[in-house]
Amino acid sequence: MKKILFIILSLAMFTACERKIDTFQVGQGSANFTTYIAVGNSMMAGYADGALYNSGQKNSIPNLLAGQFQLAGSGTFVQPVVTSNYGVGYPGAKPKLVLGYPVDCKGVVSLGPVYSDGALEPVAPVGYKVNNLAIPGAKSFHMFVPGYAQYNPFYARFASSATNMVVQEIAPLNPTFFTMWLGDNDVLGYALAGGVGDSITSPALFQQAMGGMLTALVANGAKGVIANIPDVTAIPFFTTIPYNGLILTKSQADSVNMAMSLYHLPFVYQKGPNPFLVGDPGAPNPFRIRQMQPGELVLLSVPQDSLKCRGMGIINPGTFFPYPIPSQYVLTADEVAKIQTATATYNQIIAGLATHFNVGLVDMNAKLKELQNGIVWDGIKMNTTFVTGGVFSLDGVHLNPRGCAVAANYFIDAVNSKYGSTIPKVNITNYPGVIFP
Amino acid sequence: MRRFTTLLLFLCLAATTSFGGGYQVGLHGMRNIGMGLIGTSQSYDASSLFYNPGGAAFVNEKWSFSGGISFIMARGTFQGKDVSYQATLKHEINLPFYFYAAFKPTKNLSIGIAVNTPYGNRLTWKDDTGTDWQGRYLIKDISFKAITYQPTISYKFKDIIGIGVGFVYATGNVDMNKAIPLQGANGDGNVNIKGNTSNYGFNAGIMVHPDKGWSLGLDYRSKIEMKVKGADATFTVPQSLSSQFPAANKVDVMLPLPANLDFGVSYEFGKDKQWMIGINLCYVFWSTYDSLVFDFQTKTTAVGRTAAPTLYTDQMIERIGAQYKINKTITIRAGAYYDPSPVTSDYMNPQTPSLTETGLTCGLSIYPLKGFSIDAAFLYLMGAKRSATYSPDNFAGTYRTGFSIPGIGLSYSF
Repeated sequence: MKKILFIILSLAMFTACERKIDTFQVGQGSANFTTYIAVGNSMMAGYADGALYNSGQKNSIPNLLAGQFQLAGSGTFVQPVVTSNYGVGYPGAKPKLVLGYPVDCKGVVSLGPVYSDGALEPVAPVGYKVNNLAIPGAKSFHMFVPGYAQYNPFYARFASSATNMVVQEIAPLNPTFFTMWLGDNDVLGYALAGGVGDSITSPALFQQAMGGMLTALVANGAKGVIANIPDVTAIPFFTTIPYNGLILTKSQADSVNMAMSLYHLPFVYQKGPNPFLVGDPGAPNPFRIRQMQPGELVLLSVPQDSLKCRGMGIINPGTFFPYPIPSQYVLTADEVAKIQTATATYNQIIAGLATHFNVGLVDMNAKLKELQNGIVWDGIKMNTTFVTGGVFSLDGVHLNPRGCAVAANYFIDAVNSKYGSTIPKVNITNYPGVIFP
Repeated sequence: MRRFTTLLLFLCLAATTSFGGGYQVGLHGMRNIGMGLIGTSQSYDASSLFYNPGGAAFVNEKWSFSGGISFIMARGTFQGKDVSYQATLKHEINLPFYFYAAFKPTKNLSIGIAVNTPYGNRLTWKDDTGTDWQGRYLIKDISFKAITYQPTISYKFKDIIGIGVGFVYATGNVDMNKAIPLQGANGDGNVNIKGNTSNYGFNAGIMVHPDKGWSLGLDYRSKIEMKVKGADATFTVPQSLSSQFPAANKVDVMLPLPANLDFGVSYEFGKDKQWMIGINLCYVFWSTYDSLVFDFQTKTTAVGRTAAPTLYTDQMIERIGAQYKINKTITIRAGAYYDPSPVTSDYMNPQTPSLTETGLTCGLSIYPLKGFSIDAAFLYLMGAKRSATYSPDNFAGTYRTGFSIPGIGLSYSF
């Protein structure tokens, strides 16, 4: 009897130590990840905080994807490595933004983005072939510009020859799998310029360029996924400063109302938030100005000191003239509509191309809308709010490492769904959001 | 003997079952642990003060003492959903204990005190890299323990009906850490919550011996709300966020200890009542635990009052146990139980990774002297593998746990 008891007890003791769960089973499905390449713009290059720098590049969406694909037999993924942790020193370049304590024109110290203090890396060819062909600033049709390296320092860093078109980089790499997230700049460039000094690529040119890229990518039978274009008006660069961010006291409002009546302008101001003034060539007054409307956007690039201390958006305290926000810092309702229409058209084109070329599709536009309402992963709550939203970097346009991890997982979902593969997702908790001082 | 072996094997096979789903601990007497944790219809020693105060008056001896300690060795694994990632529950020894003393001033009256640890939870998660684990924004580690002190009075009418009631004074303490997803130069932020509290409840029971060998018991232990007022909340965050997370904040937390309604029936038979077999049905009123509320005293835009839904559901624990007196010196026991998880699949928080559990128990008492016994028991508890999510935090994965719980105690009655 004691023997039986002893045996049962020993058995129980032994088995108690084995509470294992099978580990994740990786499978490539019908895809072949042997040689993976990435095509795109700054979003895929790892550009963040207003610069392309070392750690941002390590956390680029394609580099995170490559890490996962390697579990399914993918080879080494080479990026055109930036050694500097501050950025690349092309003419006019600034080092990356970090959170610091800027002092504004009123002497108020607050937490906000400031340029870091560090040496930029001179633009020089890296001298090796790369798998990440993403180029900050590139539009769809730039892929077909001969000698594009002369115009874009980021391409110059890894261009095979000075006269190459970017599309020509693909064939020599002989890819078996690709991801492409291209075309944002075809509308984002216009948006970042406040609708001034840049233009939205025509749908015909967009279709030709995107189709041309896919033709080159699948030429050798490679499989892949492409992402569509998010509605850029939802990103923090455009949503952080409200159209009615002009905060007045009662006495300030009274003075402004008096001034406006002197100029026979029909604008009425109250204590609290008021709309900024913007220029409008069609406005029925000699100043050709009007108040901003709900849905119109002020860009994060607007000079904050001018807004706070120099009367921008209301009245210049020196001249007492109305002082509208210059149009390069504003997206009017018309401009927003143009951006959204173009985005919708582009996304129809991309969906059609995905079907035509039989590749997977990542609906980034839908994902950004989800993010606007807030998402949560592993206890991390995220949204599109600047800094505290935890996804966008300090330039308000590009993703921080955590945002890249979230986006990489959207790519993985599309890959697994299209090719029946089981690629594990990136563990989002391993990637930080904005770093606070 | 052969019958016993058969029974034991039967129990072992049938026992694909349970322990302390949620944060309830059932380890309150080595003899009971040996018999699948049954006890509502037994009156062998002072442990009746806890299991059923109505049974205490049926203990024959004038004085009865019983005490013991269990060694909970937990094993657990977590596999994140869709990620190639596993974490383990760090091996921590948890030591629930009990002590009971009963005295009979008259033949029918018993007074006594029960001290034990009916609720608790202690765990630390870590992953293979040794760094903070994937679920750290939900919980890194928690230690929660409640100790109850229960003065009790029990009276029996003839030798048929016993009733008893105990006043329960509970003390509890909690110490937990979770990470905050805001990074500075040194990584994540962290919050530590540490505090203690006390409150009151009661334990009332009735035991009936309707016929020779038969015993029925019914026991109700009331809910006790453990309100921790002004626990210390210590935030560690980057300097620039310190105004949002006041360093020395206080927080109010409330954790209910759920009520239990236990019914048991048992039958003694054979020569000198050599055999006993019994069953217990324990209804746990878990649904009282619908959210875990943290109410910070100094409120900012970042910290305030949060209510994390838990949505526990009431559960019935089924237990069966048997004992066999081999001779005057040795008594052996076996049992099994099934403890369904009170947690639904959308609200599985790694803070209390509650799985439907199957427990298998064995026990032994050795009487070197009349009235004095050394009691040992072993409980092996398997948590069924379960894939679940804590939806408010979108934290999903597969959990599997196991516990080996040896224990030892002493009883002396005279």
